[in-house]
Amino acid sequence: MAKETGAGAAPARAVPRLQPVTPRSPLGADPEITKFRRRTILGLLVILFVVVPALSLIGQYTGTPLMEAHDLNRLGRYLCYAIAALGIDLIWGYAGVLSLCHALFFCLGGYAMAMFLSLPSGGGDVRPEYHNIPQFFFFNNVDSLPVWWRPLGSFPIALFVGLAVPALLAGLIGFFIFRNRVRGVYFSIITQALAWGAFLAFSRNEMLLGGTNGLTNFYKPLTTRPNWILGLYLLTSVALVGVFWLCRRVVRSRFGRVLVAIRDNEPRLFFLGYRADLYKALAFVAAALVAAIGGMLYVPQTGIIAPHDMRVEVSIWMVIWVAVGGRGTLWGAIMGALVAMFTYSSLTSDLPQAWPFIQGGLFLTALAYPGGAGELWSRLEDERQRGFGMGRAVVALGFVELFLIADKLGWFARILPTAVVAGVHVRYLIPFAVVVVLCAGKRAARAAVPLLALAWFIFSEAFGLMPGSFSYLKYLLVLLSIIVYAVGESGVLERLKNRAGRSALAGAVK
Amino acid sequence: MSAAADILVVENATVVFDGFKALDIDRFSVDRNEVRVVIGPNGAGKTTLCDAISGKTRLNSGRIHFDGADISRFRDYEIARRGVGRKFQNPAVFGSLTVRENLELAGAPSKSALGGMLRGPAPEARKKAAEVVAEVGLDEVVDVQAQYLSHGQRQSLEIGTLLVSMPKLLLIDEPAAGLSDEETAAMARLIRRLAGQHTIIVIEHDMDFVRQLEAKITVLNEGKILAEGPMSEVQADPRVIEAYLGR
Repeated sequence: MAKETGAGAAPARAVPRLQPVTPRSPLGADPEITKFRRRTILGLLVILFVVVPALSLIGQYTGTPLMEAHDLNRLGRYLCYAIAALGIDLIWGYAGVLSLCHALFFCLGGYAMAMFLSLPSGGGDVRPEYHNIPQFFFFNNVDSLPVWWRPLGSFPIALFVGLAVPALLAGLIGFFIFRNRVRGVYFSIITQALAWGAFLAFSRNEMLLGGTNGLTNFYKPLTTRPNWILGLYLLTSVALVGVFWLCRRVVRSRFGRVLVAIRDNEPRLFFLGYRADLYKALAFVAAALVAAIGGMLYVPQTGIIAPHDMRVEVSIWMVIWVAVGGRGTLWGAIMGALVAMFTYSSLTSDLPQAWPFIQGGLFLTALAYPGGAGELWSRLEDERQRGFGMGRAVVALGFVELFLIADKLGWFARILPTAVVAGVHVRYLIPFAVVVVLCAGKRAARAAVPLLALAWFIFSEAFGLMPGSFSYLKYLLVLLSIIVYAVGESGVLERLKNRAGRSALAGAVK
Repeated sequence: MSAAADILVVENATVVFDGFKALDIDRFSVDRNEVRVVIGPNGAGKTTLCDAISGKTRLNSGRIHFDGADISRFRDYEIARRGVGRKFQNPAVFGSLTVRENLELAGAPSKSALGGMLRGPAPEARKKAAEVVAEVGLDEVVDVQAQYLSHGQRQSLEIGTLLVSMPKLLLIDEPAAGLSDEETAAMARLIRRLAGQHTIIVIEHDMDFVRQLEAKITVLNEGKILAEGPMSEVQADPRVIEAYLGR
């Protein structure tokens, strides 16, 4: 490129490679990339609405465990978390306001739904010996339904309460706190105190919401019968797509631009005549509503809701999901929630001790790469435009999957080495080696490797393809591919090579 | 006593910080479409005056009349909506938004939160932004996020945001700080050009720059107005010389 000298504003066509909080790919206008994006979205929708239900139905009617009911149920619940993560992204990713009571809004929606589900009209498991009302009342010495519980027996009212209460709470808090120009960490501390206070209040039996045990004993088939599970899964998927679409419209609107401006320079907005405080309060309400929708869908799929779910820690997890997926990108929020939850479930069953470290590691990674997984995606588009294929990554991951399936079926036991070194079967090093060899090469699209690995991990976990201890092996592979990517991207190798070259040169000069 | 042409009148205004009177002005008025330069040594209350007019700081006593209304009890955004714009010392633009988005944000006819929830920028804002982009010479980078702009481009963008928001009164804090001689001259030309349609108050240290503006000057010292008049008169005032050179 010719160097530009001379007076006047030089055209800044070549955008420098920095790491903004919201990376905006300049490729949006490229028709090929638009096509690529459209295809990806179509593919994801097909997986969500066709592949998963089909696998589940085929499995159900042919008796082959293609996708077990509990895996579908788990996927459905994680999609609820993904919905909640969209809310966090709205308020924290876009507006830069760190709210630590998101799980509370999630639970408020959940409690409203749980109240409906535990009453007889909602199919609750009530018994005559407990006066035909939810059983916990009996143990709290209450023998008739409290007046304020009664309206919740109607589904529309429960739906309304589940949305209105969190929205109202968020609106009141947001309006008064932001109006007084409380910002930054002070707001986070207030929301944290609110979440903690709510946790203590909901834990009291006097609240008549089941105390520490929470609400349970809903209509049993909700979590056991495949048709109900599939129905709830589909409902959650529709809700996720709907909420995603709405959030997307919001962040691309005038309102969304002001949210980003708040993150960049809030004081200046006031001098432009914008009431940034109202914008933040509205974003807070929107986030609470989104969380409540997630919570309302979550409860029928878990069959229980308890104060435990509204702890501050849960809200912090939600923030970590968004940080991992990429702050300020809606795709990133969904991706982050799914990756974190499947990692959590695969590791807590096999390597429970490792989870806190992985969680800390995820958070540190998010700090080092503020763009998160969302940034990987824009890098991938970048590479695609330059004509790099990602075939190698697909081949490598396909190989690993086949390897694991074959291993599970015991095909390799006779042929491959069975040696165990430091507690690891040596044959498991083979997939690692294959991934490194196929994916570390210069020609493979570097960003595609970790991204495909993440997607592969999520889907194989969601489909329950590999039960048991294989899932953490997969997770280690994903970690490995991310490390390989990070090393390649940081340029450490090139620097080492240069240094070697220079010392060789120095030796030659001597 | 107050002329109808005065767009801004500050009367008997005091601002007290911890018992220290940062501002103590009997009367300070600016004509419509006038350029006024406020100078004074450090701590004279220049920025406090701007803060008080734009609503960042509240007066402890006194009144500020702007365009027919008493704005001394208004909040910052209300004052901004009435047409008081402010440019800070460092170019303040929204880094994650593109040049176009920055301009559309500043030029939006409606700033209400609920109204813009699902809608894109208003057509008027788009139109104004498109006009101003060419005017400030940023058409090459119109879709680049502001964080990638050079310092000079950011200055241009901030001036562009002022142009689209069309304030009646513009408060400019040290516009020449950190600029080269050439850029300073360009800034002075720009301010003189804006003067026809806007009332402008410039706070400045740089005497060369002030001279280029050819405007009436108010000298502040210890929160009080020390002198007022054209450059030549003010420069000859012994009290001003004393305040600047020390006793």
